[in-house]
Order: sequence, then C-alpha cells, then structure tokens
Amino acid sequence: MGKFIARRLLLLVPILLGLTLLIFIFTRLLPGDPATTLLGERATPENIALVRESLGLDRPLHEQYLQYMGGLLQGDLGRSFITNRDVVDDFLQRFPATIELSLAAMLFAITVGIPMGMLTAKRRGTWVDSAGTIVSLIGISIPIFFLGLMLKWLFAIQFPILPDSGRIDLVEFYIPRVTNFMTVDALIAGQPAGVLDALRHLILPALALGTIPLAVIMRITRASVVDVLNEDYVRTAHAKGLRGSTVDGRHILRNALLPVVTVIGLQTGLLLGGAILTETIFTWGGVGRWVYDAVIARDYQIIQSGVLLLALIFVLVNLVVDISYAFLNPRIRHS
Amino acid sequence: MRTWRLFSLFAVLALVLAACGDGGASPSEAAESEPATESEGAEPSAAASDGGGDGEPQAGGTLVFAGAALAASLDPSQTSDGESFRILQQIYEPLVDLAPGTVDELEGVLAESWEGEPEDTVYVFNLKQGVTFHDGTPFNAEAVKANFDRWDNFAEEFQGNAYYYGAVMNGFGETNLIESVEATDEYTVTITLTQASPTFLYGIALTPFSIVSPAVLDSTNADDPTASTLGTDVVQGGTGPFILDEYTPDDSAVLVRNEDYHGDHTAYLDRLIIRPIADPAARLQALQGGSVQGFDLIAPGDRDAVDGVDGFQLINRESYNSLYLGVNPTATDNGPLADLAVRQAVAHAIDKAALIGPFYGGGGSEADCFLPPTSGWYDSVCADVDALAFDPDEARALLEGAGFTEDEPATVNFWYPTEVTRPYMPDPRGLHEAITTMLEDVGFVVEPGSAVWGTEYIPAAQAGEYDLHFLGWTGDYDDPSNWYGVHFGYDAEGNPAAQFGCDVDGLEDAINEAEASLEEEARAAAWGEVAQIVHNEVCFITLVHGDTAIALTDTVQDYVANPTGSESFVDIWLSAE
Repeated sequence: MGKFIARRLLLLVPILLGLTLLIFIFTRLLPGDPATTLLGERATPENIALVRESLGLDRPLHEQYLQYMGGLLQGDLGRSFITNRDVVDDFLQRFPATIELSLAAMLFAITVGIPMGMLTAKRRGTWVDSAGTIVSLIGISIPIFFLGLMLKWLFAIQFPILPDSGRIDLVEFYIPRVTNFMTVDALIAGQPAGVLDALRHLILPALALGTIPLAVIMRITRASVVDVLNEDYVRTAHAKGLRGSTVDGRHILRNALLPVVTVIGLQTGLLLGGAILTETIFTWGGVGRWVYDAVIARDYQIIQSGVLLLALIFVLVNLVVDISYAFLNPRIRHS
Repeated sequence: MRTWRLFSLFAVLALVLAACGDGGASPSEAAESEPATESEGAEPSAAASDGGGDGEPQAGGTLVFAGAALAASLDPSQTSDGESFRILQQIYEPLVDLAPGTVDELEGVLAESWEGEPEDTVYVFNLKQGVTFHDGTPFNAEAVKANFDRWDNFAEEFQGNAYYYGAVMNGFGETNLIESVEATDEYTVTITLTQASPTFLYGIALTPFSIVSPAVLDSTNADDPTASTLGTDVVQGGTGPFILDEYTPDDSAVLVRNEDYHGDHTAYLDRLIIRPIADPAARLQALQGGSVQGFDLIAPGDRDAVDGVDGFQLINRESYNSLYLGVNPTATDNGPLADLAVRQAVAHAIDKAALIGPFYGGGGSEADCFLPPTSGWYDSVCADVDALAFDPDEARALLEGAGFTEDEPATVNFWYPTEVTRPYMPDPRGLHEAITTMLEDVGFVVEPGSAVWGTEYIPAAQAGEYDLHFLGWTGDYDDPSNWYGVHFGYDAEGNPAAQFGCDVDGLEDAINEAEASLEEEARAAAWGEVAQIVHNEVCFITLVHGDTAIALTDTVQDYVANPTGSESFVDIWLSAE
C-alpha cells in the first residue's frame, strides 16, 4: 500500500508540471489581458501600456513562464494582478468556505441518496421506484441557479425561516476569523449560538449544491444494489435467517458500495473545485467564484496558481478514494 | 439501517436549526439588534430621541450594506472603482471633498481652508489641527507631504493601478504636474504646480488622494511593490469616521465608529458592514430576506419591488453619466457614415425617450449633451448644443438625399458589449436590439456584432473598428475636459481619437483652446465650442443619462445620494421602526 501511495504521489509531479504549462498557455490564449479589463472604458493605449508594463506583461511569454515557474519552485505562487494579494493567502482564506459547503452538500447527498437508492432498488418496479426515478431525474436536470433562487425565495423570503445568503449573521455575531471554517471559528470564539447560526446558513446552499450529487448517488446506489440483490450470498443470508437489517447493511450495502464510493469521491472532488453558481447566489465567498472572477478579469496569477491548487486537491481526493477501495474490498488490497 | 438513522438525524438537525433561527431578522429587528462589539463607553454622538424616520438622529446599531464587490485594494491610491471608494472613503479622507449631494462644490475635509484659483500654480492648504490618524499619530503637513511624495515616486509596479494619480497629475514622468510639495509649517502645505490646472482641486478630492498615516505607510512597506501590505492588511491608517476592524475578501468589511473623529459629529452607526453581492437579484433578495438593510445599484427592472413598498425605500441617485452611440466615419473605408447626412439620419432615427422606460425603469433622462444636467457646467457648455431630435421622416429623407434606396441601402455594422452592465448601460443587448429596430425602420441595414467587454470590445472600439458602437462615461470630476477632452483629445502626433475617427476642421484647435482656458467663463465658452463641433458633426450620439438607485429598509435614515457615488455614511442613522 505504501508503495502504491508513493507511486501515485510521484506521478503528481509530471501531472502538475504539465498542468502549469497548459494553464499558462490557456490563459494567454484568452483574448484581452488584465490591463484592458482593469481599465474598462478608461483603457487608452497609453494607460494599457503602463499597466502591462507594471504587471510585467510586456515581457516575452517564455520569460513570463520561467519567472512564474521560478517562483513556484520556491513556493511562491504569486500575487493577484488586481488586488496584489498573495494567491496562497487568498486561497486559504476561501477554501475553508468551499470545504464547509462541499461537506454539507455531500452529507445531504449521501444521507439522502444512499437510503433512497437502496429503497428504490428493493422496491423496484413499484411506485416508490418510479417516484425515486422522477426525483433523481429532476435532481440532475434542474439548473442550480434556478433551484437556489427558488429555495431562497421560498425559505428566506416567503417563509423566512432560513437566512438568504452569507455564512453568518454579521449583526448578531462577531466571530474573529481563525480557521475560516465558520462553524469552527464560532466554536473557538465560544459562541455556540454562532455555530448553530453558521449551520443554518449552510442549509439552503447545501441543499442547492447537493441536489445533483444526491441524484447521481441515488441512481448509482440503486443500480448497484439491484445487481447485488440477485447474488447467491444474499439469498443464502436470508435463507439462514439473518435479520433484514443485517442483510441490508453487511451483505447488500457493503458489496454495493464500491461504485458509490467512486462517485462520491469524484463528486466531492468536483465540489471542492468550487461551485460558482451556488457561491454566487448565496454570496458564499469560496474558491469557485474566486477563480471565476479571476478568469473574467484575466487575473493570470490567480488562474494559474488557483487552478493548480484545485487540481492538486482533486488528484489527492481521488487518491484517498482509491485507498478507501482497499479497505472496502480486501480483494483489491491483495491484488 | 445505519444510513436510515443518519438520514433521520440529518433531517431532524435541519429542522432544529431552522427552528433555532429568529425567523430571518426583519428589517426593523435587524436594526434594533445590539451589535456584539458595541463598546459600553461609547458616547452617543447625538441625543437619543424616540426615533422615527423624521426624528433626531440617534446613535447606535449596525448597518449591513451590500455593494457589488469589496475593495480591489485597501490602499486608496491603488483603486479607481466605485466599490473600492465606497469602503475606503469611510476610512480615509482627502484634503478636500465634494459637499454631500453635489458634484461641483468643494469643501475642506483635512484642509480647513485653501488659497488657489484655477489659473494659479501655487496652492496653499491650511490644515485642520488636532486631527489624529486611527493609529493615534498626529495629522500634519509632513503627513500630507509624505503621501504626495509617495505617489510621485511610485515604483513602476504601482503606477499601473494608480490610474487617478496619472490622470489628474499628467502621468509620472517629466509631464507630472507637481513641481513641489512643501510643509511650510506644521499645519500649512504649499503645493506648486508646473502649470495651472483647473481640475487639480477636483482631482485631489478623489478617494485615491486620501492621506494615509506616515507611520502606517512605514509599517506596511507601502513603497515596496513586493512587500507592501497596505493594500491587503487591516491597518489603522485613516482619519475618517469609521475604522476598519475586519476585512475578509469576498465576504465582508467590518467598520467600527471612530470615537475620535474630527468632524462635526462622530458617526451615528456603531458598526457598518459592507457585504459584496455581485448579482443584483441576489442583492434584492438579501434586502427582502433581511440579511442586509441596504444595497446599491438596484436593477432598473426591480425598482418597483422597493419603491413605495411597505418597509422599504428607494433613493434615486441622479445620473452623472452618459450612454452614447459612437459613430465612426472611418471604420469602414468609404462606408456610408463618411457622409454627414447619413450620420444625421442615424441621430434622427433614434427615439431616446423610448429607451428610458424599458431599460432604465424610468430612472434616467434623454441625453442631448454629453455632460449630464447634474454637472455644474451643463448650462454653460451645453446651452448651444443642438441635438438632432427623433424624426424618422427626416432620417429617411436624409438617407434618400445621400443616394441610399431600398435596393441600395446604407449598411452599417453596429456592436454591443457582452458580460457587462454599467449604470449608463443596464442591458447592452436589449438596447442594441431596440436601436437596431429604429435604424432598420428608417431604411438602414444593420449588421449586428457583439464582443466581450474588457477583453475584446473596449480595445476594438478604442481602435476605431466599429461603425456604430455603444459606450459611455461616468464623470470622475466636474470639468468638461473630463468628458469632451478625454474622448476627443488629439494625441501628441496630432491624430484624432481613433474611437470616433472624428477629424473635423477646427476641432483640434478648439480643444487646445479649451484646455488652455483657465478662467471659468472663457473655459465654458471654449468647451461649448468643442461640444457644438462634435455634436453637429455627429461624431457620436449621446443617448441616455442613466440614474442609479439605492434600496434601503425604511429604518435607514439620512442617506444622501451623490451623483458621483461618493457617499459618506457618517450622517446615516437607524431608527427603531
């Protein structure tokens, strides 16, 4: 196992190296540059030249790339062209918000998706199965921005039981940012009511963001459980008089879980890449919106380094998923 | 089974959390709630009364206000956008500023008085005494000099973002307007210019010319482009009515009252929290949901959701901008627009009044002159500008007279920007469709085009590649040169602005004369001459002055809108109901 992990980590080096070059080329292929975006209607040729010079964009491309790589090798991911903030600081300040939201969304997707998948599989062909299929279809096809706006309209404005946006009630609670995980920071600040408020703020965005993973997890669970249900060992388990819940948990779910875990891993990786629409609708302040804004503003430093960090995290999450296979299925471990 | 339990737990947890809530603070509840940071010893800065919308101002409370973004940088000199100014001008102050609600009345802020007229090259500022920066260090003439010296000696890396310093002071090199800045005594500063500049005083009223504590400049390495933290860290470097307490990019800026403020009174609000909400619809929902008590830049179509609605109020901000249609006779070789009659036909074809209802929610006015009526120069500069009125018959006649028929129509390309809205241009595509229809109605054939705003559209428009295109302008400071001069000025080689390709006999001389005219009456007359030339030649067609608006709960009192968007929160207070 150790060798496997080491090999995978080693593979990261060429992947990330190739990625830096790809992203660099990609950003430079985008029309326009930060200077014109920065200046808007005030972009006279003289002003553009001045800004390009001050950002170092007037230098040859290979020089720009080498300078970027030089910084990277020394652990310097650069500073935003627009705000001059350190990219790593910016990332670390926003990423906890993204993790918090992603975990909440996945918690919702898993705790609802797996039982629903199990239920529809066991009652396949009945109205429960049909209802489940419809729900999952809606879940996959409904646009997030529409769902988000509807959830807000319903639960924050028409029936105001949940907050409409943000991560905490800034008027009620003064929470010094330590970890940037709002729930953790509220705990550190010794404000349990703040923790509850932070959790309340998580509900609507988590529902909006978790809907697609929920639908995917539910469908995969259903398909996988249907396969397992027909296996001999399940019949044997029932025949030898095991309780239904024991058969469900130990024999069906455990064997059906492998593809589900794969999907959960992939979906989590995707969510950690940031959820631009959800973050925009609920003013969440995570990495998705950050990178999106950087692309719009052609803030090359953030695009290059931000995407690199996100890619690194995506690869690592997938590594964790691969490792978890081994624990779920000893056959993989032995092979 | 375990998963079922987890599911049940999750559902119960969600219900409990929802129930724990206060039901989403209503506007009045939010205003009443006690902020956690309220200092016990804070002296109310005005006698507390029984409140009410039109009562005496009362101190206390937290206002959460949403803009479209937070500050691009916390270093005032490195900013040039309204969202940055909104936050920074509560914290930092310049020597002089615009009086609330005006665009052309200067009043002293850190300067108590000053001597110097537009035709002078020497300005003497008598500074306010007894002012301290938020870090406790004294404000004096040396502090002013330190800031001017810093701007003047900006490293190259800082120059790019210091747009306004470059614009007001004629750049950073040999052309720089500043000859010297001397601290004549502890509270007197003498600024000598290399040449008279009628826009100097208005220029230094802008937020980027705010004075920062020299001690903070030192401690943040503000002169070092690779080490400066002035633009990113929470520091106590201003003199304004609020002190920056916490700043979380993309999340919130928390400002607290400066108890030692030097103005007429300290701020009424205990805390001011600015939240960035990029989407106008989300800003409105945040107001309706109670998580903010006010926001700027309501979408024109949403005005009715707030205006006259119980519990809310809409503050209209009169326009200080202009949307125009650039008309470039040289974009297409031997194109129809080279003929003045065809350009006039374009102008006669457009019904400006018909644009205001659908696209500006009624908040706007027809633009017959580039300067908006809120400008102090409007009456004098625009008096003799003869805007071509909507007259489709005249437009058809002009086209016919120019030799264009149904079989051989005048064909023009007409471009609009995507991925952008501006107060003067809330819906570029919709406006484009409306005007295209008007042009086609009189016989033009329109080839539509669109391009991404900052990256493609602006460079192409500036390079003069479009026959017709939308663009606009929001005034920086109140001087006609900031409108007509910026757009139609000739370059050093004597070339006209490529954007308009407008090279009319006498225009260059008229602009040079206007720039050189320092005395107010002569300056107005000279710029009026420029205005007449560019309007008569239809180098562009000014369309609409778009108002913007601020939406507030009815508990927010005394918000005074300024056409420039330069608005202090020092006078704003919260009533109980």
